[in-house]
Amino acid sequence: MSKPSIEKGVNFIKGQIDAPVASFFSSCIHCGLCAEACLFYTETGDPKQTPINKVEPMRRVWEQEFTVLGKLKSMVGLGKPVDEKVFSEWETLVYDGCSLCGRCSLVCPVGNDISGMIRKIREGFSAAGHAPEGLISATQRAVEIGSPMGVKLPAVKAQIRHLQADTGLSVPLDQQGAEYMVLLSSMEIMNFPEYLEAIARIMKQAGKSWTISSTAFEATNSGIQIGVSDLAKVIVERVVDAAEALGVKTVISPECGHAYTAIRWDGPNLIGRPYKFEVKHILEVLDELTVAGLIQTEGMETAKLTYHDPCQIARKGGIVEAPRRLLNQVASNFIEMSEPGVMNWCCSGGGGVSANERADEIKLTAFRRKKSQLDELKVETLVTACANCRLTLEEGLEANGMDIPVVGLTEMVAEHLVEDGTQKESAS
Amino acid sequence: MISNDSQFREILGELGLQEQRRVAALFVDNVLPLSDDQRLLQIVTSLKEGLPEEALSAPFKEAKATSLEAHTRCGTEGDWDEQAAYFVARATQASVEPQLRSGGKNPAWRAAMQSRMARTCLASESDEDSHNSETTAQYIILNNYLNR
Repeated sequence: MSKPSIEKGVNFIKGQIDAPVASFFSSCIHCGLCAEACLFYTETGDPKQTPINKVEPMRRVWEQEFTVLGKLKSMVGLGKPVDEKVFSEWETLVYDGCSLCGRCSLVCPVGNDISGMIRKIREGFSAAGHAPEGLISATQRAVEIGSPMGVKLPAVKAQIRHLQADTGLSVPLDQQGAEYMVLLSSMEIMNFPEYLEAIARIMKQAGKSWTISSTAFEATNSGIQIGVSDLAKVIVERVVDAAEALGVKTVISPECGHAYTAIRWDGPNLIGRPYKFEVKHILEVLDELTVAGLIQTEGMETAKLTYHDPCQIARKGGIVEAPRRLLNQVASNFIEMSEPGVMNWCCSGGGGVSANERADEIKLTAFRRKKSQLDELKVETLVTACANCRLTLEEGLEANGMDIPVVGLTEMVAEHLVEDGTQKESAS
Repeated sequence: MISNDSQFREILGELGLQEQRRVAALFVDNVLPLSDDQRLLQIVTSLKEGLPEEALSAPFKEAKATSLEAHTRCGTEGDWDEQAAYFVARATQASVEPQLRSGGKNPAWRAAMQSRMARTCLASESDEDSHNSETTAQYIILNNYLNR
């Protein structure tokens, strides 16, 4: 990233204004539905948190640069400038008060992709030097080291040794021609190593060839979160280069929402060409393997449990039925939250919010929405499929004195695999 | 003498729940120097002396809070030495997780695995392997417990 400046920030915002964005601003009817869809507004009651207000600096640039009225207003000194004060005032709204969950976009009656615009405006804020320090350094680490949390290959190898020694399972590294290339998120490597074990067990039973790339094991793309497309592109290219060099058929995105959005949806646009392989979320792969009869499960969880849909996977990714089919296969008392699937409420920590220490307070305030959903259900277990959701949920539950175990769906499925005794010896 | 994980796990599975928790505490005790959180020391000390099932709620809550505090948050630079403390906390949490709570099963095995992860963290910046040494240490701990 080159040296930031306000001028550069404004130019970056201008550069993000394409025909859809222009039409979004032209068509907004100021109905306020986006406010009611945003947990940062509903839980704070602060009108500034209205989603469409978060892109007000972009609207000003659009008006001044691309409309006759705006140009006239600027000429007579009536235009509202987008200056240092505006960037300072809006920075927390754009980063701390938005998890890019996309609920505002879904409810907008005229189809404005407000969440997409917030993603775009972050490009300008980042270029202006108004991005959270934590996200900037995470992105730099992702580009320089390969992981936003600084996870290096020896750490992955150490986990592989641990897993292989304790379970006898195989974790292939750089296996040419494997069917699947599995990506991990730093969060899983550091905090939830049981995810890798679950994958190894599932792949063994399914009889599928798979591999981890030593040059592209990391899926998290903080370039997307911070809003720096050229860095996001570097991170995507690393995965694409590795997948194509290994000749894999499918790249599996881990239980990480933004990683999935980045590699599945944003990736081809960032690199400017289609992939030579498919990208699937791990839940899609599990569902396919189950439907094909390649993995069998036994026993049922009897605890009353519910499923938290990660926004990027359900609302933006459309993966709604697969987790429910999987859950119903291994849980006998699964109940839905209110507003499940594409209308789910965010955990409050997506879009870089959980990586931004400054946002801790508003994150916990916004978590009240999830708390009230859970209070209605009185469940004994909460299942999800995103490592970031998982930790945000655990923190929110802890802060509210709620003792509900939070479990990853892939691990839950792996726990119920029909296996012989040796395989069943879970390392976690 | 225990020589492999199949045997190790089988023996652990034959122990009663109270005994499993005591052994779990011994496993955690062996990696406790990797954490400087005094709350974990207190929990492990109490558990080694024997905690009835109905008294686990408070230490479990404490261990869970410790584990959440010790995790590496999304996007922050990880420090594997500090991360070892997170796995020590998770091992402690597994040791005292009440049976009625989902997942409150096989406490000794789960504590053993988390303790090994704690030791593995120390090797995460290099190609050295301290994992096997912890595994061997756990075999000896269990052996000594059985022959006490």
